[in-house]
Amino acid sequence: MKLLDLLRFKPLERFVRWRYSRFVMQVPLLLVALLALYDGFFGRQLAPKNFATVSVWLHYRGFLVLAIAVLGNLFCAACPMMLVRGPTRWAKRFLPQFAWPRALRNKYFVIGLTLLYLFAYEYWDLWESPWLTAWLILGYFVVAFVVDALFPEGTFCKYVCPLGNFNFTLSTVSPTQITARDPKVCLSCEGHYCVNGRVETPEGRKTLKEAPDAEGLRFPGCETKLYVPQIDSNMDCTLCMNCVRACPYDNVAWKLRAPLIEAAWARYKTDVVWLGVLLFFAGFMNALAMVPPYYQIAERLSALLGTRNEAVLLSTIYLLWTGLGLFLTVGVAALADRISGVKEPPAKAVRFWGAGFFPLAFAMWAGHYTFHFLTGWATIIPVTQQALNNLGIYVGEPDWTLAALVPENWLYPLQVIILYIGLLAASYVLFRRARARNSFAAGAVVFLYFFLLVALALWVLAQPMEMRGTLLLPQ
Amino acid sequence: MRRLLLLALLLLAACKPKTGEPLDAKVRFVPEHPSVGKAEICIEVDPDLELAKIEVVGDMTHAGMIPVEAEAHPAGPGLWRVEDFDFNMRGDWVITITAYDKSGKKYQKEVRLTVP
Ligand code: SF4
Ligand code: SF4
Repeated sequence: MKLLDLLRFKPLERFVRWRYSRFVMQVPLLLVALLALYDGFFGRQLAPKNFATVSVWLHYRGFLVLAIAVLGNLFCAACPMMLVRGPTRWAKRFLPQFAWPRALRNKYFVIGLTLLYLFAYEYWDLWESPWLTAWLILGYFVVAFVVDALFPEGTFCKYVCPLGNFNFTLSTVSPTQITARDPKVCLSCEGHYCVNGRVETPEGRKTLKEAPDAEGLRFPGCETKLYVPQIDSNMDCTLCMNCVRACPYDNVAWKLRAPLIEAAWARYKTDVVWLGVLLFFAGFMNALAMVPPYYQIAERLSALLGTRNEAVLLSTIYLLWTGLGLFLTVGVAALADRISGVKEPPAKAVRFWGAGFFPLAFAMWAGHYTFHFLTGWATIIPVTQQALNNLGIYVGEPDWTLAALVPENWLYPLQVIILYIGLLAASYVLFRRARARNSFAAGAVVFLYFFLLVALALWVLAQPMEMRGTLLLPQ
Repeated sequence: MRRLLLLALLLLAACKPKTGEPLDAKVRFVPEHPSVGKAEICIEVDPDLELAKIEVVGDMTHAGMIPVEAEAHPAGPGLWRVEDFDFNMRGDWVITITAYDKSGKKYQKEVRLTVP
């Protein structure tokens, strides 16, 4: 089936080919980040009334899932952190250069960082502190600068950035993907410029890999080292469109695709699937941490362990929950393998069946973010007004009573619909995979597991919200 | 220059921002530890402070929550009261009391509490 190539739409193609197109997309988010830094550091330290907390924890997260669902990983494309590239190119002239360690060229490091980040989010209640949120933004820029200055370009996005990898994982169910228009053209392509970069020198066309210092018109290739004709997944694609500009044969398409085609057919590496599994369980935990049963669990655990140390309790809950999730996932995948008569190590079983977690992880985060985004989307208006007013740019008096986007009693049904769609999507992925193995019983076992997880998630989302910074109530 | 700017930002950021003119007031809740629902807020200020108005705003500590706003009514010398303040959700609340004296000068006090 011939699917629509968005780059056939001329104005879009012209924009994407323009060398400053990414910069133009990054500038608005840079301005948002700067205003968030200003208000986070110097504004009122009250989360609902500060631009840092409202923009980061409400709108950034809300728009991110919306963009991924509707089009793709647009937030990586517009990521202002990659504006450190100019300064790092300059710094690279003086600093020693390192190769990213081979042992870390996978998703395990970023899985560890994501866990650390989620722990920090709960332990320091980042969501309620504009000041810490501003430090988080600043810290992100600093780390992006350091990694980009010392290691090859693309290292930060691919191996370090928890946010980028979160976007990569969720965009596995996006309705668009970069691909080759005609794979036959790629077969006769002499430089594979989409990945190696292109430089048009007076002596002729070369790749940036073979002539990194050559003078001429330069078109960098894919920084995360994706080779266009072989792309079958959105994992690691930042939608930077370097490949479109680097290909001299106009052979790169940004095509519309069925959102589940990737999870149904792609052969993921084990670390990638673990990232998807972890994000589901972490998303669940993130939602659980805002409802009363979570605090009851913490109280019981505190009595059991004889400690009121929040760090100990929080890490125990996190490790137990994610550990249990990973353990159960291995068990269920191995059982499904057994039923389908396939003998392979458990890690391979997870690699095959775990792909069903991608739509589920998307639904879990989308459901949770939808709640926050829809309850408070309009608060971005007064917080922006207040921050700009404080900066001396008067834009009117803030109206703090600006209401939610939808009536409050719609929120839970909306979350239920999102999770049902996630479960339905996951069951389609399982069905395709089970069919490939000729064993629907195996797929049914994994489906049952997903069903129970979704039922548990719905129960959590049905609980009354409790937005509390302290894990235990004072005695 | 860029480095200097960064340094200045870090130094400035090292101190948390302060709120405006402080209001010297005693704030009590009835019941003492409110739970979800209506509660009374009593604000005791120096009777010599000639106040014209007291506004009470309750914010939850998560971004995106719509504030609960109320106006306190005088209930005796130096005593102001909000009868039906609506703590509409469990969690951490920040109650901001803003008082205006007759000349329009503004005083503020912040009280934090957890609604279990
Ligand atoms: S996409 Fe373009 S640059 Fe890449 S291999 Fe194909 S023809 Fe060559
Ligand atoms: S260059 Fe790589 S990361 Fe950028 S859009 Fe193309 S495939 Fe995606």
